[in-house]
Amino acid sequence: MSGRVRTRVDRGTGEVVAYSDAAVRNNLAVIEYCRTSMAALSGGTAGLLGLTGLYGFLFFLVAGLVLWLLLLVKAGNRWQRFFVSRQSLLTSGIFSGLFTYILCWTFLYGMVHVY
Amino acid sequence: MAELLLDSDIRIWVFLPIVLITFLCGILRHYVSVLISTQKKVDLTQLQDSQAMIRSRMLRENGKYIPEQSFLMRRHFFNNDESGYLKTVKRASAPQPMTDPNMMVEMLKGQLTNMLPMIAIGGWINWTFSGFVTTKVPFPLTLRFKPMLQRGIELVSLDASWVSSASWYFLNVFGLRSIYTLVLGENNAADQARIMEDQMSGAAMAMPQDPKAAFKAEWEALEIADHKWALKDVECDLLQKAEVDYLVNSQSFVNSS
Amino acid sequence: MAFVWARLAFFAGIISLFHAGYSAAQHRAYMRVTEQEFTSLPTDISIQGFLSLLMAMYGILYIAGDFKEIRANVQLQNKSWETVGNRPTFYTFAHRGRALSPNYSPPKATRSPLDPIDSLAAGPHHQE
Repeated sequence: MSGRVRTRVDRGTGEVVAYSDAAVRNNLAVIEYCRTSMAALSGGTAGLLGLTGLYGFLFFLVAGLVLWLLLLVKAGNRWQRFFVSRQSLLTSGIFSGLFTYILCWTFLYGMVHVY
Repeated sequence: MAELLLDSDIRIWVFLPIVLITFLCGILRHYVSVLISTQKKVDLTQLQDSQAMIRSRMLRENGKYIPEQSFLMRRHFFNNDESGYLKTVKRASAPQPMTDPNMMVEMLKGQLTNMLPMIAIGGWINWTFSGFVTTKVPFPLTLRFKPMLQRGIELVSLDASWVSSASWYFLNVFGLRSIYTLVLGENNAADQARIMEDQMSGAAMAMPQDPKAAFKAEWEALEIADHKWALKDVECDLLQKAEVDYLVNSQSFVNSS
Repeated sequence: MAFVWARLAFFAGIISLFHAGYSAAQHRAYMRVTEQEFTSLPTDISIQGFLSLLMAMYGILYIAGDFKEIRANVQLQNKSWETVGNRPTFYTFAHRGRALSPNYSPPKATRSPLDPIDSLAAGPHHQE
């Protein structure tokens, strides 16, 4: 069966919308996968470009923004069928990959620029 | 700031090996834990008990939708003094978790695969690659990070953003965790499967801790549950509703025409 | 099909990223050997790094898997009545259909004259 179902009242129209828990979790897992990959790859790129200090952290934020845009492109114009809101897609868990980012950044920076 | 020039052999023989060793050990640890972990088996009697509990609870809650005779029949199955399920089935009391040898073995396995390699490899790396300045974090850090990042080299004048080999290992250990979930699809897949399984069997997996006491409580609850037939006037209600609908519709029809 | 392309894009991006990294390291070493001051990377390496990052990310996006519809009724629309109307509590196993099972043995009960089923079932075989 489809698992549990979670309901939520739509703010605009006031009608109750039922969400499938398993599907929401699946989407979250996909987003988490993308976020971790993005953190690792963008960390590598930042280290490669030799960004230091604040520029590196700015690059992290820009990478998060780019990932958001890419996710919206993937979802297409039917994003409402997959996500509850677009804003939370951008903001939720944006810092979850920070440690991975810093590690990859340090790694590539060390490989390319220190020696 | 005086720029430090490191020998590029350090990159090949210290910096890269630490990353590789940490990463590959993580992967190896994952597969070893998959190998030695045993599938948690559900005891048949426990499953039976929990399903019986679920059925009895559903009977209590939704019994009003079935005729009284059916309700009494089902209650008789559970609660009859001579042959009722809740009365006749005898279960031992709940086992203590610490005395259960299986539990102990499981815990030992978890310790073995998690803690031991980390300590062993950490010690080994500390011993083999001790005293190297390996890399530099690309952002400035305050002096407070010095003991964290420069374990193994005590140089007062060294800038805080340089990282020693031992600290580089620990950074890797903590930072590579999310990469593992990325690389080891099985890790994720196992989690997913477990979630699915939980959903499938629902509350049946949550087995009562002490079946004896749970049966007693359920028996009492079922004993005092009385049957209130919810669909008593259902025909009248339906007819009334149909009548009202008909009237409303004809009214609007008259109004519109 | 899209999956193959996504994989190709991902691997090409990763390889290109490595190549850019190697170029940057070479450039850095060259600068050091010729004792020039390192100011910034050559533009082509930076652009290659950016582009390969985008390419690899595009690949990842499709490797990660597809989104699923989160509205519950969409999933339920494809279910047939046999699935939705499944009520395990109302299953009946002790019905006469079990007599169709090949390893069913009828209970040895006292035969009543109103119960000629056994003889009827065995009848044609005896006549052959």
